Amino acid sequence: MDETIAEFIKRTILKIPMNELTTILKAWDFLSENQLQTVNFRQRKESVVQHLIHLCEEKHASISDAAQLDIIYMQFHQHQKVWDVFQMSKGPGEDVDLFDMKQFKNSFKKILQRALKNVTVSFRETEENAVWIRIAWGTQYTKPNQYKPTYVVYYSQTPYAFTSSSMLRRNTPLLGQALTIASKHHQIVKMDLRSRYLDSLKAIVFKQYNQTFETHNSTTPLQERSLGLDINMDSRIIHENIVEKERVQRITQETFGDYPQPQLEFAQYKLETKFKSGLNGSILAEREEPLRCLIKFSSPHLLEALKSLAPAGIADAPLSPLLTCIPNKRMNYFKIRDK
Amino acid sequence: MAGILASGLGVLAHLERLETQVSRSHKQSEELQSVQAQEGALGTKIHKLRRLRDELRAAVRHRRASVKACIANVEPNQTVEINEQEALEEKLENVKAILQAYHFTGLSGKLTSRGVCVCISTAFEGNLLDSYFVDLVIQKPLRIHHHSVPVFIPLEEIAAKYLQTNIQHFLFSLCEYLNAYSGRKYQADRLQSDFAALLTGPLQRNPLCNLLSFTYKLDPGGQSFPFCARLLYKDLTATLPTDVTVTCQGVEVLSTSWEEQRASHETLFCTKPLHQVFASFTRKGEKLDMSLVS
Repeated sequence: MDETIAEFIKRTILKIPMNELTTILKAWDFLSENQLQTVNFRQRKESVVQHLIHLCEEKHASISDAAQLDIIYMQFHQHQKVWDVFQMSKGPGEDVDLFDMKQFKNSFKKILQRALKNVTVSFRETEENAVWIRIAWGTQYTKPNQYKPTYVVYYSQTPYAFTSSSMLRRNTPLLGQALTIASKHHQIVKMDLRSRYLDSLKAIVFKQYNQTFETHNSTTPLQERSLGLDINMDSRIIHENIVEKERVQRITQETFGDYPQPQLEFAQYKLETKFKSGLNGSILAEREEPLRCLIKFSSPHLLEALKSLAPAGIADAPLSPLLTCIPNKRMNYFKIRDK
Repeated sequence: MAGILASGLGVLAHLERLETQVSRSHKQSEELQSVQAQEGALGTKIHKLRRLRDELRAAVRHRRASVKACIANVEPNQTVEINEQEALEEKLENVKAILQAYHFTGLSGKLTSRGVCVCISTAFEGNLLDSYFVDLVIQKPLRIHHHSVPVFIPLEEIAAKYLQTNIQHFLFSLCEYLNAYSGRKYQADRLQSDFAALLTGPLQRNPLCNLLSFTYKLDPGGQSFPFCARLLYKDLTATLPTDVTVTCQGVEVLSTSWEEQRASHETLFCTKPLHQVFASFTRKGEKLDMSLVS
């Protein structure tokens, strides 16, 4: 086994937390049950890693085996990367998508290999009709850098692919080309949507963030959820603004629903609008050119935070549609210009 | 003189005594009168109270008797009310059941606070398969809020074509796509589960189940070469393939009988659902076995 491969596998395994190690190794399915049983996982991590590398050498692990391990690690630690969303489109009157996984993989690999000569491409299919693609980029003259790969999650027979934001921006057009041609589309466009949470991005893009639906078969009446208001049950206490509180609660529920919101970390608004002010004669109001300014809202869970603004009394209800349209428009990057 | 004074005094005293006697007897008679008056008043009060008591007693008796009579009369009225209530409840249950059963028609819906939630229940060959939901917001423009349609069904395309102009067409088109997908999926699942013995390799399929590729043998474990089938469903609203290619693995030129079989298989796959074709293969196989035995 090549020293570089051994080093790469070693570094990958070192990243894995001890409590996940056996699960990930089982998913990798490269070392046999017998081999794994010989490992004492209660030792210090360095000793465990040494033993595992030794076993990998026995089995002559290749770079593609190592790449598979890396993909599995990334599947367990998706939130360590920031994911972009790309949308592809077909030309008018295109044939029906007869997606053939083998053809797709071959085509994708060929396009990259023809362009770069040195590139490692690995695939791993999941149960939800998605294929994870790992690309380690090299050039005509240098070997692929295994430590800075790009990951792509493509949902076959849909126009959408999610890619980990790469530092190696120069490869993005080639990646887009490979995806488009291999999946038999014509064009690819980057959506203004970005987050660490792949599941949330998927829920927003495919409009599946709420999987409860009203039917005549539902036995629990919808009205019976608790409003979440901490109203004292003591009848001697009267809330002066209970009407307002209930109005806010109702509007919030209509806008955001009862379901858990998809998780985003920020929303960014690039304003290129003329300054509007009630005061006449202010310097800014006289500017002809639009004012450029960037507003960024950050939060560990942006949409839940927005949902709680009005009930907490921090903002008026209804909230600005610029904030509430995020899941519906599938954007969290906005450019606002004067109409 | 002393005698007259003494008798004078005696007379005065006598007069005094008589006076006090008179006043005393006046007082006594007054007291007697007032006591008598009081007695009289109390007497009349007693009479009044006695009369009131008798009236009340009579009233209670009368009430009791009339209530008894009432109960005897009222019971038939109450049961009529109960019957009406039961009838209404039964009607309500009936209507609820009809609304629930509507999803068997394949397309049903329920009004929501902001629009309608449409339920598309798919079926194939009389088997009820998965249901899919689309929650629509009734605004200008009409839009889909969220849904449970699989991501590879071209929902966005269908919506772009029809949602704003002809919602009926949108729903029927979506029904077509979903029912066809469900049917194709059903066939592929049945092939994998019921006829695994005849397959010599895994079934290759894609999310829409519109490209199926598999190898099979009519006599598993036998000496014959396996067939390779590739089924393309270019019409996403159909459950039968549009293009079928059956080849024989590992053989350049087929003998006539094999060629006939190959061609007949191609036709079968084009005209009958996948699992039915394989069912007919197993039946033929059984017939062959029977002929060998007899």
